[in-house]
Amino acid sequence: MVPLSWYLILSAVLFTIGAAGVLLKRNAISMFMCIELMLNAVNLTFVAFSSYFRDVTGQLFVFIVMTVAAAEAAVGLGIIIAIFRNRESLDVDEASVLKF
Amino acid sequence: MITSILFLILAAAAIGCAIAMVAQRNPLYSAISLIGVFISLSCLYVLLAAPFIAAVQVIVYAGAIMVLVVFVIMLLNVEEEVRRPIRLHYLIPTAVALAAVLIAEVAFLIYSVETSPYVPLSPVGTTADSNVGLTASIGTGLFTKYLLPFEITSVLILMAIVGAITLARRIAVPPGAGVVPGSQVLPMERVDPRRKGDATEVEANTTGEAARIFDLNKPTPSRAGD
Repeated sequence: MVPLSWYLILSAVLFTIGAAGVLLKRNAISMFMCIELMLNAVNLTFVAFSSYFRDVTGQLFVFIVMTVAAAEAAVGLGIIIAIFRNRESLDVDEASVLKF
Repeated sequence: MITSILFLILAAAAIGCAIAMVAQRNPLYSAISLIGVFISLSCLYVLLAAPFIAAVQVIVYAGAIMVLVVFVIMLLNVEEEVRRPIRLHYLIPTAVALAAVLIAEVAFLIYSVETSPYVPLSPVGTTADSNVGLTASIGTGLFTKYLLPFEITSVLILMAIVGAITLARRIAVPPGAGVVPGSQVLPMERVDPRRKGDATEVEANTTGEAARIFDLNKPTPSRAGD
């Protein structure tokens, strides 16, 4: 039987990798994917607790987190396309000024 | 026993794919590595006796979201990231020290939790005494106790639809209207607020391009005072 702490450690490791990716990456799409990784790490925690505590609430919240992630994907990729149209580049350092 | 072995294999796959995702410099390769992470996590959800979440993980994440990401990567023809020189050398020892402190904290937490007296919990699948994780129980919870968050989520999706359409379309903005990113008609007074009375309009992708077309030989005026 797998102890609950193993799942929590795995989730923490994945979240840390995602956070490091957001800080290290300069490409807007890569940063977006790292955010998705962090959301998934949190989802793993929710499902693990839900399963070990026999409470369905955690899985409901995973469902809602997934919905938010899908909405974020639609809007975020729309913003990325708009930035690319304006600047011909996805480098976030070049998009540091929002107005021009 | 078999569960532990499966967990270790899947966890190693997830961590390996995640590290590969961050290490890759081609966004398409990192997208494929991220799909590997999603599939591994989906298998872990099956291990945790959550078949509905596992299916939704594959359908929504690996199916819908990653297809959208890969589509955008292909559409924009994203180039590989160039490696940059590290600028702030003096921060490296600080970062190592802070990471050591963080790892020590986490190790202490794990140690204190593992050594404290507690009733060991078991996951759902091992005893088969509950219906947690089945689609029926999730649907019941979603439509009874958590009906309000569910409805708010639907409003959120509506906002996402409207926002995505607004961001993605190309329109000619009338003078004075808000500027939508993308190709647009820019009146003279938006490019250079100090020149009034010139009603010429040009079509340009950026304000700077419009300034070039208008032949303004100075850089784009700073609007910091607005």
